[in-house]
Amino acid sequence: MESQPEKRAAAEPADSGGEGGAGGLPQVAGGRSEDRVTLLLRLRAQIKQQLVEYKSMVDANEEKTPEQIMQENQIEDKIEELENEIEEVKIAYEMKSIALNRIQRSTALQNNLEKIDAKNSEFMDNMKQILKLNKLIIRSQKESRSLERKRLEIKKKRLDLKKASESKLLEIQTEKNKQKDDLDSMENSDKIKTIRQNLQMEINITTVIQHVFQNLILGSKTNWAEDSALKEIVLQLEKNLTRI
Amino acid sequence: MSVLRPLDKLPGLNTATVLLVGADDALLQQLADSMLKTDCASELRVHLARSLPLPSNVNRPRVDLLVFVINLHSKYSLQSVEKSLHHVDASFFLGKACFLATGAGRENLCSVHRNTVVRLAHTYRSPVLFCDLEVEGSRAAMAQRLARMLQISAGHVPGVSAMSLLSLLRSSESPSLEDL
Repeated sequence: MESQPEKRAAAEPADSGGEGGAGGLPQVAGGRSEDRVTLLLRLRAQIKQQLVEYKSMVDANEEKTPEQIMQENQIEDKIEELENEIEEVKIAYEMKSIALNRIQRSTALQNNLEKIDAKNSEFMDNMKQILKLNKLIIRSQKESRSLERKRLEIKKKRLDLKKASESKLLEIQTEKNKQKDDLDSMENSDKIKTIRQNLQMEINITTVIQHVFQNLILGSKTNWAEDSALKEIVLQLEKNLTRI
Repeated sequence: MSVLRPLDKLPGLNTATVLLVGADDALLQQLADSMLKTDCASELRVHLARSLPLPSNVNRPRVDLLVFVINLHSKYSLQSVEKSLHHVDASFFLGKACFLATGAGRENLCSVHRNTVVRLAHTYRSPVLFCDLEVEGSRAAMAQRLARMLQISAGHVPGVSAMSLLSLLRSSESPSLEDL
């Protein structure tokens, strides 16, 4: 660390000597001294940067590190916190330098506004172009925001419709199931069974009566085919009642 | 010295040293040759090592950038790199170390999954670079990239420090599925 300032001090006088030399002899200076000047300037920048690094390491080492042993996920969280801090500092620095540039530029403009009469029109054209573009930007941002809002609304409506259709379908399904259950229960109820039994018994009785009448007519040995009324009665008695 | 420390020696004027650590000598040699061929304003010095710790009897300049080369085709290179990681001081991982995974293109030869290397790099908070060191074009491009990183880590680029480069190279952790 001690030799760093020495090296830097040694570079600077040589640097200024080189610069003075290059200023004194404008175009007579050969390529070599210009190269040397560039080299010296580059070395100066390098050594500055390295000095900043060492200084920051020294400052970092002076901070006390927490001695307690933390859990691994706690360490991960801490690391992410620190990384985010670095990002925030970088962003803040960038914003500040941008703001500083803007202030510098506006003061320079203010100071030189009187002088640039000839170029005024071009300058004013630039400013007008900038204002036009800014208005365009603001307008398109508004439009995009309103479109986003519409899109969001449509999405919400779609979601609502979907939910409603879902509930309706559910209703239909439950209704169908209820109908089926009712039908099943009805078929298996006792009333139906007794009714069926009664029906069956009546059918049997009527069939027996039919057979009796048939046999009566056949037993009487009359020709029932000639008499239309008797024919009708016999044919009617042939009807099978179970098929009704 | 059993542990490699980043800032224990003074830097040489206009020189930047990179230490390539990897089990595959041929790949390291090729990468070193490509790096020396890139034109760079500062003088580059490339040191190769199969594993750390380095023998302490040799007088070597301070290491500005540490590149761990992992060949995805061999599990041995991953293991030797993991062993060497124990001999590196923690302050190296503030931007002066990076992982280089090679051979990801040929899936059928890969015995180490690229996610393993990605997770390893994430644990050490260092950037991981992928390339194919056996292809000339990819190797030359990677050599240029490494040369630029080396210049920044050595402090030769004013205004950019190793740590700011690290936060620039940090990629998002895992791509989350966007809700459509």
